Amino acid sequence: MNLKSITERYQPTIGIECHVQLKTKTKLFSGADNDARDKAPNTTVSPICFGFPGVLPVLNDEALTLAVRAGLALNAELPEISRFERKHYFYPDLPKGYQITQLAEPVIVGGYVDVPQLDGSTRKVRIHHAHLEEDAGKLTHPVSGKESLVDLNRAGTPLIEIVSEADIHSPAEARAYVQELYRLMTFAGVTHGDLYHGNMRFDVNISLASVGQAELGIRTEIKNLNSFRAVEKAAEFEAIRQSEVLDRGEKVVQETRGWNEDKQKTFSQRSKEDAHDYRYFPDPDIPPVRLSRKRVSDVQDSMPMMPAEYRSAWISIGLDESVINSLLTSQVSAHLVATIQHSSGDEHAKRVANWLVSVVDTSGEAGNEVSQLNVESLVELSIMVQDNKLSSTGAKEVLGELRMRGGSAKDIAEAKNLLQVSDEGAIAVIVDEVLADPSSRQALQDIKAGNDKAIGFLVGQVMKKSQGKANPGLAKKLIRERM
Amino acid sequence: MTKISPSDVQKLAALSALTLTDEEVASMQTDLTQILGYVEQLRDVDTADIEPTYQPHDLETVVRQDAVIEYGVSQVELLKNAPEQADGSLVVPRVIE
Repeated sequence: MNLKSITERYQPTIGIECHVQLKTKTKLFSGADNDARDKAPNTTVSPICFGFPGVLPVLNDEALTLAVRAGLALNAELPEISRFERKHYFYPDLPKGYQITQLAEPVIVGGYVDVPQLDGSTRKVRIHHAHLEEDAGKLTHPVSGKESLVDLNRAGTPLIEIVSEADIHSPAEARAYVQELYRLMTFAGVTHGDLYHGNMRFDVNISLASVGQAELGIRTEIKNLNSFRAVEKAAEFEAIRQSEVLDRGEKVVQETRGWNEDKQKTFSQRSKEDAHDYRYFPDPDIPPVRLSRKRVSDVQDSMPMMPAEYRSAWISIGLDESVINSLLTSQVSAHLVATIQHSSGDEHAKRVANWLVSVVDTSGEAGNEVSQLNVESLVELSIMVQDNKLSSTGAKEVLGELRMRGGSAKDIAEAKNLLQVSDEGAIAVIVDEVLADPSSRQALQDIKAGNDKAIGFLVGQVMKKSQGKANPGLAKKLIRERM
Repeated sequence: MTKISPSDVQKLAALSALTLTDEEVASMQTDLTQILGYVEQLRDVDTADIEPTYQPHDLETVVRQDAVIEYGVSQVELLKNAPEQADGSLVVPRVIE
């Protein structure tokens, strides 16, 4: 069974919850270090993270600023007042026995994401709301033994949970949505966006309804996906699984499911289904938060260029949709291209854009390596290609070096002996040598007989004799002149 | 008056991962019923035109700057409050199969 044969009969409906870790220096309610990457367990913690009696959590003002940035990136409403609630559940990763979160009056309300589709159009996914809350600790379960280990380094890390409406109707659209969300959150400076370290985690709600049926089917929720690919694959697996259940005339069981990355399958997590009674109530420790309109407009003024603005600037110069989406995976490369477009014009921007997509990591799952690149050296490189001093293959080689070590494009091209000879006199000498060579006789006859393709052989010989440095266009022109 | 049933008590206990004996359930049932009855007196007050009260004070937007605070409490001191620790981690009964 494949997805295509299913979508002829069933329409999937998908809503996504995304947890975004904010890039604050400290935690949401405690001054403990928020950078727990590769730290020993329970070393970036405080008595507040441990939930000891008598401690007083105090809201991190920067988390509020980042939430405003997220709200603006989502085209959302930012109400004047928001409040915090306690959500109670009993689990070892939650030392207080409750999570401080927002329920009735979250910091971000409404909004939408214009999600670019593969065909170049965009589709709107509405945002229901997004709220601030604290992350839980991390549990590990040693293979041997009857115990679980608790590390509270992550406990209290600020999150915003972005809850979409169920406006998504295929696994590919689900992937496009989370990718665009990633771009929005990284460009707006809300998160480091390190997916490997769980900076963004996704829960996918999915149900199937028979085509033409208005009422939605029974949904399942796949929890804790941490890559774009996993979102798409898990949604696809689940759509197929549910269709098989429905085809058998059975009912889909409403439940939480996990995703097994190795087996590429979802699995039931039946635990505590009946125990979901969170007993929310207002957290008396955290007074309501007032967001002044002045503060919102100040943050608005500090917002950088966002993906949609880059897109419209690049579609107008004819950049390919896939090139645009790849460039927008990295704010650094997007900024480079936009700056070049502004300072040196569309042609240079286009050329550089096409180079960058071949070197930047577009998975979004690791830091990408364009940090050594700067506007000056890229424009220098582009001018060399424009002036026929460098072939496009040569340019990519120079780019590779520039990216790793920086420096001047011209120096690198010279050092690597990549500069093309565009001096007519010098190439003419080689052309004459090639044409005089007995091995060229056959090709010359072929061309005279009307087989123009044979000129390629002669150009090849010229390139060989010049050790690849001759400008092939010029060589071709000189050969034609001599015939 | 709202009546708390033994199964209500059992459910609350389960949510808090507590195991209660039958005697404890019975005693909790009495206590909780009385507490609820006491609080239920508030239902007699007409609150039609009154804003909900979330806090007993007028504080608003209490925040701190985003700078690391040294709390002066070591990892060892934090961990020693737990019944069991190993290699810097808290040890709890296994929570997955």
